[in-house]
Amino acid sequence: MTMYATLTVFKKEMVDHLRDGRSILISMIYPLMGPLLLGLMFLFVGGGMRVNEGAPLVVPVVNAGNAPDLVRFLERGGATMQPLFGDARSLVSGGRAAFALILPGQPAPAGESPLQVRLITNPARVDSIVATSRVVELLNTYQRETLGGRLRAAGLPAEMMSVLNIEQENIGQAAGPAVILLTMIPPFLIFTLFTGGVHVALDATSGERERGSFETLMMNPVQRYQVLIGKLGATMVFTLMALGVQAIAFWVMLHSVPQESLGLVAPPSILRLALIVSVCLPLVVLAAATQLLISAVTRSVKEAQTYLGLLPLVPGLAGMVLALAPVRAQPMLAAIPTFGQTLLMGQLVRNEAVSAVFIGITGLATLTAVALLLLVGFRLYEREEILFPQ
Amino acid sequence: MIEVRGLAKSFGDLRVVEDVSFVARDGEITGLIGPNGAGKTTMFRLICTVLRPDRGTTLIDGIDSQKDPLAARRRLGVLPDLRALYTRLTAREHLRYFGELHGIGRSELAARIEELVVTLRMEDFIDRRAKGFSRGQQMKVALGRALVHQPHNIMLDEPTNGLDVATSRAVRDLLRRLRAEGRCILLTSHIMQEVAALADRIVVLAEGRIVLQGAPADLRRATGLNDLEEIFMAATQEAAAQPALAAGE
Repeated sequence: MTMYATLTVFKKEMVDHLRDGRSILISMIYPLMGPLLLGLMFLFVGGGMRVNEGAPLVVPVVNAGNAPDLVRFLERGGATMQPLFGDARSLVSGGRAAFALILPGQPAPAGESPLQVRLITNPARVDSIVATSRVVELLNTYQRETLGGRLRAAGLPAEMMSVLNIEQENIGQAAGPAVILLTMIPPFLIFTLFTGGVHVALDATSGERERGSFETLMMNPVQRYQVLIGKLGATMVFTLMALGVQAIAFWVMLHSVPQESLGLVAPPSILRLALIVSVCLPLVVLAAATQLLISAVTRSVKEAQTYLGLLPLVPGLAGMVLALAPVRAQPMLAAIPTFGQTLLMGQLVRNEAVSAVFIGITGLATLTAVALLLLVGFRLYEREEILFPQ
Repeated sequence: MIEVRGLAKSFGDLRVVEDVSFVARDGEITGLIGPNGAGKTTMFRLICTVLRPDRGTTLIDGIDSQKDPLAARRRLGVLPDLRALYTRLTAREHLRYFGELHGIGRSELAARIEELVVTLRMEDFIDRRAKGFSRGQQMKVALGRALVHQPHNIMLDEPTNGLDVATSRAVRDLLRRLRAEGRCILLTSHIMQEVAALADRIVVLAEGRIVLQGAPADLRRATGLNDLEEIFMAATQEAAAQPALAAGE
């Protein structure tokens, strides 16, 4: 009878809330917002980079006539000179030029002192970052080739000017802007975990109490803890639905956007996606139990809504902080529910190795917190006040 | 049979029910009446075990509801004042939900629901969602919900509140049928004519205490008044000064 009563309550809540537009909206539609937002960022940032990399390089230049050798070299490298008139700084800061190459005010004597070259850039703009890097690369090549020519003319090997021959290999999932965008995925997932089932939790406790049906329910031969577990189950299913929708939407987004231009080597595999969702599973129970507890102790639906609206910010903010100021995954941090999972998810989306011990501690600590919350919940549900609007 | 023995309940310093004892017998309709704030709803909640008394006990068919509340609830069917339906569930799903909570098997439950559909004339709306139900339809679903497990003891809080004449009459006829089946019925009502027409015994509650109880004929004899409304007014107005008046016990 124990399981049967719990299952009956669970079934009823599922049928009830699958027909509720708000429950569906929050668990099936809201989770799409994160992937959509991140996808747009990938598209805009990545699209901007792709256009810049493929397009002819236009070099806004001041005093082009004073360094004819360099200008010819740049033109041979595919650049088109665009003479700039007026204040270069204000033209760049105003967005009318992606950057400005300022050459010396007087014609430079050939081969004597270094040519004074000044670049005015605006790293706040993606087109400026890409165009500047292409010009800097051309300038460095010009320097290497000119120096090499001078060394050879003096009878010395051109390799003399190289001290290091640097090779860089990226073994991570991503580099550049993609890293920043990927680290935003865990906070989005955590936020969804604490919002996906919120309407079910709210409606099934606080709402039911306010409508008077909670009292009617408790007049039946069921224990209150059975009712709590049934409602917890339904809240968990809606939270899982939200998590699943968002994880799949992230996966689809990462496989659809132009990742290469951002530095994404390869989007996460299905297996990695499944691991990310698995890491979140203890949090599904934690989120549902916390929401039910808050709904139970608050006096009205409106009061519960206020607190439940703030709830996702607590773990979500921790994730945002981690995205900006990365912390090394230490076992002590694994014991903090939501924080440990945020760290783990960050490692997983960046294709880093994860520790089984860390996963174990994270899951165990979260489930311990769930057990404590449920014990408190069972006690609260035994109170008479739980049944009546206050 | 519902046997209430010395029930008392306070909320903080407010004593809502004080030393209330009465018996609602099988095959009888017992009317629990009283002015607003007399403690009727609290009494209801104490009997159906959603509230715990400070003192006293309630026996439902001999089962102490404090010691075995689940067994007591299985023998009780309750129609609360607030019908409180789930607007997204159909009438049939309501009956099924509460039947399942009582542990009734699927085929038996389906048969009972069909029976209730006919008894309560729910054919037109049994598979419609409860949102937008009229008061009469809401009451029928709530009544069906209270009867689906065929309880021996039935408690009804203001069963005809807000209903039209025809539906009120149908409810009264149903209560008479249930009484004829030997069930114990305890109802509260503000409509004196209804209580006078239905009740075999009347319990008058005022300021949390019983001020009068007995069969209508006994009450008339004890008070010297013929009209139940007059009896009710006299008893409740004297409640503050007069501790308790018993008739026919």
